[in-house]
Amino acid sequence: MTGKNVTPPRDDPDRAPVQQPEHLDAYGVHGAEGTAPAPGMTTAIAAEGGGGVFGWLRRKKQAGVDEKAKEAYFTASQGQLIWARFKSNRSAMIALWALVVMVLMGLFAPFLSPYNPTIAGRDANYENGAPQIPKFWDENGFSIRPFIYATERERSIKTNFRWVMTENRDKRLYLQFFVKDWRYSFVEIDWDLPGSWLDVDLKLLTFDRHLFGVEGGKIHLFGTDASGKDIFGRTLHAIWTSLAVGTLGVMIAFILALIIGGVSGYYGGWIDGLLQMITDAIRTVPPIPLFMALAAFMPDHWSSETRFFFISIILGFIGWPTLARRIRTHLLTERSQEYVLAAELCGASSSHIIRRHLLPSFTSYIIVDLMISFPYMVRSETALSFIGLGLKDPVNSLGALMQNVSQADVLLNYQWYFIPVLFFIALVLAFVFVGDGLRDASDPYSGTKK
Amino acid sequence: MAQFLQFAFTRAVMALVTLLTVSLIVFTLMELVPGTCAERYLAFKNTQGSQISIDDIKAEEKRLGLDRPFLIRWGSWVGNVFFKGEFGDSCILRLNINQLLADKFWISLGICLAALFLSYLIAVPIGIVSASSNSPVTNNTLRFVSYLGLALPNFLLALIIMLFSTVVFGDSLTGLFSKEFRDAAWSWAKFQDFLSRAWLPIFILGWSATAFALQTVRALMLDEIGKLYVTAAAARGVSGSSLLWRYPARHALGPVINSLGFDLNRIFNELPIVALILTLTEAGALLIEALARSNDQQLAGAIIFLLTASIVALNFVTDILLALLDPRVRRGLMG
Repeated sequence: MTGKNVTPPRDDPDRAPVQQPEHLDAYGVHGAEGTAPAPGMTTAIAAEGGGGVFGWLRRKKQAGVDEKAKEAYFTASQGQLIWARFKSNRSAMIALWALVVMVLMGLFAPFLSPYNPTIAGRDANYENGAPQIPKFWDENGFSIRPFIYATERERSIKTNFRWVMTENRDKRLYLQFFVKDWRYSFVEIDWDLPGSWLDVDLKLLTFDRHLFGVEGGKIHLFGTDASGKDIFGRTLHAIWTSLAVGTLGVMIAFILALIIGGVSGYYGGWIDGLLQMITDAIRTVPPIPLFMALAAFMPDHWSSETRFFFISIILGFIGWPTLARRIRTHLLTERSQEYVLAAELCGASSSHIIRRHLLPSFTSYIIVDLMISFPYMVRSETALSFIGLGLKDPVNSLGALMQNVSQADVLLNYQWYFIPVLFFIALVLAFVFVGDGLRDASDPYSGTKK
Repeated sequence: MAQFLQFAFTRAVMALVTLLTVSLIVFTLMELVPGTCAERYLAFKNTQGSQISIDDIKAEEKRLGLDRPFLIRWGSWVGNVFFKGEFGDSCILRLNINQLLADKFWISLGICLAALFLSYLIAVPIGIVSASSNSPVTNNTLRFVSYLGLALPNFLLALIIMLFSTVVFGDSLTGLFSKEFRDAAWSWAKFQDFLSRAWLPIFILGWSATAFALQTVRALMLDEIGKLYVTAAAARGVSGSSLLWRYPARHALGPVINSLGFDLNRIFNELPIVALILTLTEAGALLIEALARSNDQQLAGAIIFLLTASIVALNFVTDILLALLDPRVRRGLMG
């Protein structure tokens, strides 16, 4: 392991909610141990409540079996230690749950959304319709099954020849579960990339069951947009799209950062100087104009899938410099350690040393950085889609949905268009809090942004 | 002194090389945009009734020098920019870019710098206090507010403020000037009018920048605050705010100052979007117009280049300032 293990524990006021200071003494000797918990972990574990890896540990400790607790602590893997520390951070745990829920919502979007989120699933009778909240009772009495009212569209001399939507309060539409509606597949690859040999058309796991629906009508939990598309379904699909763009972008950026940062940090010297010059130059060009320039290069006739990949790739190609720089700085300090010399003397190749010795010493930090760079990717995607250069309307991305919000008409009359925005904010907040919790839990290095 | 001059010289050369690299990137990007300036200009003429042929395009390309190899064109572009300060003509508008951009670029830069200044004015004291605070309530509130700055997109904030002001004041607060000053020459009255409207974009841009700066300052402070020299100072009897400001804060703020240029970058990054919503008429808006609407590569290239040049310049200035204040930086660079 690395030098971080011998650092004395810091008395860090923020990260260590010292609720049971008496436990500190029992573990305070950890700095000298080889199994090596990161600094600051002791206090968090002492403060950790109950349950999980250390829950039983603490109960036993209270029973007086101090030695066992110590042993479990010292033999715990780094992952267990990080997890224990992470769990003690309540806001991070809440954020983690929110994130898991949202990812699952995105994953099962077709199952959860009763109607097709594309124009095919539009509800022509309910355009710009307000959200319909299922209820259990009204003036006609109580019902054990939730229901909504049927709506009717009318245009006559009475309504001044405009379409007017009215609620028929006598006609109830009851909520039903596991109804059949449009078909969807969980594995659906339909690439139409330039060049016919790259085309893929694959459909697996096709279903047509949906979690809920109403009999004899349609239910729109979040209302509908101007063309009658269900905003609930669109939001769920958009979460998934934005996450997918983010993931692809983060992966590309990650691989580039590992390679460039690794090479730059390991070799140092003129290679480092040259690579840093390029990195700095790329960091200097502001990303959004760069996106815009590249997006202008994107022909209009591209399909939405092609656009999707192109956007992810651009995001990835621009997102690497920060992480690359951090990896480089870390490697520059790390490469003079004895274990690297030992590996070199054993005849290990440079790429082996970088991959097998240097980068693993940095894993926790890299994971945290990935987690934190995720919301930036999602944000970039939304910003780009918002300007109209990113994903366009048939694709449901959070940015494309937000674009609708900017019309004055919408702001004043159809406030339910804002619902996807709330999901976006929740998504970004969840990511940042989880990333921050992870950083606090695992961060033996500086938490610097640069 | 000699060491310092040597440092400044090295830094200046590095800045120049970065600028050249950036100009190559920008120029390549401009070339990537489909279609050339000649085609675009002739297409524009075409809409006015005159017929054009392939020969016309060829002739126009020759006139604009587009038939020369890529690197030579880059060289002449960079040469014009560096030695004459000329960006040439805009492809679509057929106007001299220098005239087109003169005021607008300075306004944009001013707005961005003001937002940068505002964000650090708020973030530095709060970040330092938050890092040294023991109260979880304070910390969690600060964290939440600062993360909200990250999560709430700028354009959304702009929209909300616009909506609010339209409903409450009956003025949408858009634009950079009132009607009567829009085309007027710069005067004190115009400047005041400008300030009365520019605070909104500055505030919106500063909002997320503050969130980011707060996180950086806090993280840097947390690293410094546990170090031995702070303990030693505390043991000597230094306490309270002077302990914070005289010891860890001085060290923690070094990297912050060092990265000011990249913060400016991040702020400018958001400017086009805010400009789009608030219908501002400055360089960010021109950029989005040039890139997203009309594919005006000359204009877009000029804006991006000017911006990166100011970032490089800011980085250079902060490096020199840091080196003046902190001898370790000088030695770090000279090895």
